[in-house]
Amino acid sequence: MVDAVTDVDFEIASASLTALVGESGSGKSTMGRCLAMLERTDHGDIWFRERKISELSDGEMRALRPQLQMIFQDSARALNPRFTATEIIAEPLGVQRKLSGAQLRSRACELMEEVGLSRNWADRRPLEFSGGQRQRLAIARAIALKPAFIVLDESLSGLDLSTQAQILNLLLDLQKAHALTYLLISHDLGLVGQVADYVAVMHQGRIVEQGPRQVVFQNPKHEHTQALLRSVRPLENWSRAAHVGGQS
Amino acid sequence: MRYLERRLVHGLLLLIGASLLCFAFSALAPGNFFDEMKLNPQISPATIAALRSQYGLDQPLPVRYTNWVGSVIRGEWGYSFAYNCPVRSLLWVRACNTLLLTVLATVLVWLIAVPWGMWTAHRHGQWDDRITSACTSILIAIPELVVALVFLAWAVRTHALPAGGMTSANADAFGGGARLRDVARHLVIPVTTLVLASLPILLRHVRASMVEVLEAPFIQAARAHGIAGFRLLFRYALPAAANPLSSLFGFSVAGLLSGSLLVEVITGWPGLGPLLLEASMARDVYVVVGSVMASTLLMILGSIVADVLLVTLDPRIRVT
Amino acid sequence: MTKTRKVAISVVALVAIHLVIFFAGFVAPYSPAEQNRDHPFAPPTRIHFVDSRGQLHFRPFVYRWLAREDGFGEYEEARDHEYPIHLLVEGCDYKIGGLLKSNVHLLGVEAPARIFLAGTDGYGRDLLSRTLYGGQISLAAGLLATLISLTVGLLIGCISGFYGSWVDESAMRLVELFLVLPWLYLLLAVRSFLPLQISPVQTFFLLIAVIGTIGWARPARLVRGIVLSAKSRTYVMASRSFGASDLHILRRHVLPHTYGVLLTQAALLVPQYVIAEVTLSFLGLGVNEPVPSWGNLLATLQQYNVLTSCWWMLAPAVALVIASLGYLGVANAIHERLQSGSI
Repeated sequence: MVDAVTDVDFEIASASLTALVGESGSGKSTMGRCLAMLERTDHGDIWFRERKISELSDGEMRALRPQLQMIFQDSARALNPRFTATEIIAEPLGVQRKLSGAQLRSRACELMEEVGLSRNWADRRPLEFSGGQRQRLAIARAIALKPAFIVLDESLSGLDLSTQAQILNLLLDLQKAHALTYLLISHDLGLVGQVADYVAVMHQGRIVEQGPRQVVFQNPKHEHTQALLRSVRPLENWSRAAHVGGQS
Repeated sequence: MRYLERRLVHGLLLLIGASLLCFAFSALAPGNFFDEMKLNPQISPATIAALRSQYGLDQPLPVRYTNWVGSVIRGEWGYSFAYNCPVRSLLWVRACNTLLLTVLATVLVWLIAVPWGMWTAHRHGQWDDRITSACTSILIAIPELVVALVFLAWAVRTHALPAGGMTSANADAFGGGARLRDVARHLVIPVTTLVLASLPILLRHVRASMVEVLEAPFIQAARAHGIAGFRLLFRYALPAAANPLSSLFGFSVAGLLSGSLLVEVITGWPGLGPLLLEASMARDVYVVVGSVMASTLLMILGSIVADVLLVTLDPRIRVT
Repeated sequence: MTKTRKVAISVVALVAIHLVIFFAGFVAPYSPAEQNRDHPFAPPTRIHFVDSRGQLHFRPFVYRWLAREDGFGEYEEARDHEYPIHLLVEGCDYKIGGLLKSNVHLLGVEAPARIFLAGTDGYGRDLLSRTLYGGQISLAAGLLATLISLTVGLLIGCISGFYGSWVDESAMRLVELFLVLPWLYLLLAVRSFLPLQISPVQTFFLLIAVIGTIGWARPARLVRGIVLSAKSRTYVMASRSFGASDLHILRRHVLPHTYGVLLTQAALLVPQYVIAEVTLSFLGLGVNEPVPSWGNLLATLQQYNVLTSCWWMLAPAVALVIASLGYLGVANAIHERLQSGSI
């Protein structure tokens, strides 16, 4: 039995974009799932807004769930292929009994438009959308309950570069509009370099370095961070990539 | 070897569990063997009560079960009320007869189904494959009962074979070789019926497994190398099909055992089937339990054989 | 032919078979209990178009069977009078579905001739009528037992697969036990443990209960497999993340995966259970005289002389095979459709 995540002391600033980086198997996804309350920790506490959420009863947890959401990597698997777009977006609202009937459908259509999908596609199934559009659908579902914190678990991997840029822009817009806090889990340091405010580096289940992005990237202290940074494209490409992100 | 040990222990546990289940079902019985006697005014209720307690039928279920287990360990397997003897003496002969019938039928049906199934899989989509498929589809719908009746009717009308039983009336006068021939002649109808009843569905499953194997890339590679015909089928495809075929073997044993009950009753073959039927009608509860357990034992043995076959034939499983 | 159309055609064929059996009263020329003691084991009535004088009749007709004085079961036609076959005749009373009274029959001939399209049994009762009525019992038994078995299997499979741990372990051990006992042996044993001398109605329901409760194991295992794979899907995790209850997840995300398999299982189990009822009745442990069931109709074939000379007594077997073919056709069509159409 190996500890997936151990010895972690980690803080995420509100309304920021914190990135969690590391190679495959470093424990980032497990960490993300624990923070989104999809997995229980064996030891340790998790605090959210001055509240210890790692030891809540089922009822209290259910009330808190809308606040903590997750957007998965593979949108095709994260959405039930038999549901229509509105059913997908409306599901969280229905489950939490926020709305019902016609109100549910109209709110779902509003959310669709907010993420850049036409409301004419309300009755399409996930597989009739492209990868980028599906991820937008997943985002719409995630913000339906007005969360405070969203874990983006490799949500931009598997998309081509231009779609990545579009979705990234959408996420940043939504963050500004709704004061969201993001935890971006990624192995793509180039992407992280563009958008993160804070960075935490994980290696074999431990956080080996954390801090503001500039500090970590320009003065990496841990040898693993250094190794990671060495394997990425050189600095000039980063500024070019930043311009691409500025379009659309 | 370790695998075999584990399977045997597992089989034993299954047997114990099955006996518990069987006894639990027997607790459903609102009456018992001696209820018939209640109708007879000449037998006093006191006698019936005495008989009941003598055979332990008035004890609660767990006590009866422990007594029965003790009897099994002693080798008696309970007591038959109808025949007035330990169940074992009834079971042993009958179980051997059923074993003979089922083993023969299993061997024959697999000997026919595997080559034929492989051949039709090889000729996938061609005219002889289509004809075989159509025929098997229709034959699968014909239940064992009907096959047995029709075949028996034909056999009897043509006077080709003995109509039932295991031996002829004057069998005692025969010598060793003649006796063997006599039994063999009596075996023909039951075995053929069982084979005819199980062949279509087995053929279809063998064909399906083989078709899947033949579509595998390594077979395409072998074909590209010029390997074809029987060599391709037997040396390349068949070993790869060992896994699905072995699990099929387990199912076919199950089907053949249940089927043998009916065939034995209809053709008069003295196996476990007629014994169980008789005991069911007479409510001879320990004979019923004994027959069910004997047939379960045969089933477990069959599935162990299937597992051992699988392990021997499929090298991928040996890792564990 | 598209797969969906194949499903439609096979379902239509199956429904047609069931309709014929349901309207047994209409299709059958006679009541199943009506005895003709002067015509035991009569062979099927022959239908003619050309009479003994060589004249062609527009309407098919029959001759009366006359029992020959000498042999047992020897009959010859009385060629003196032709009795034409009429459609939609008035006959004995019957009830459609047990409620609506009627006395219209599909076919008939004038008295004293009889039209035994499938011959008669030992009491001179028309075998075709008995077969049709017997089908009502046998098919109903199969359908109801399947319902029980699938319901129990679905419940146990769902709970076992969804909640896992000791519930799953114990359920699967139980499944293994039920599957290791040869089904016909178990069926006979359980049947024997229950009361033997009970009314046909009670026997019918008892049979259904026994057959259904023995057969839950295989569907349960199948459903459990589906539930196991469905509950680990990412969208189920997503559902949990916004607080969906177990019931919601089961109902909306997991159960829909089981429908296809359940349908195919149903189409495969019904004929198996019909055969189970037929076997039990054949052996004398099922529905008994005078209520006809395909099983007890075939039981007369256990007599040597009936088996060899009265081939028409196999009519219930033919009906059984037709019904099985119908169900297997549907099962095949659904299976093919699912394999191609599922996501």
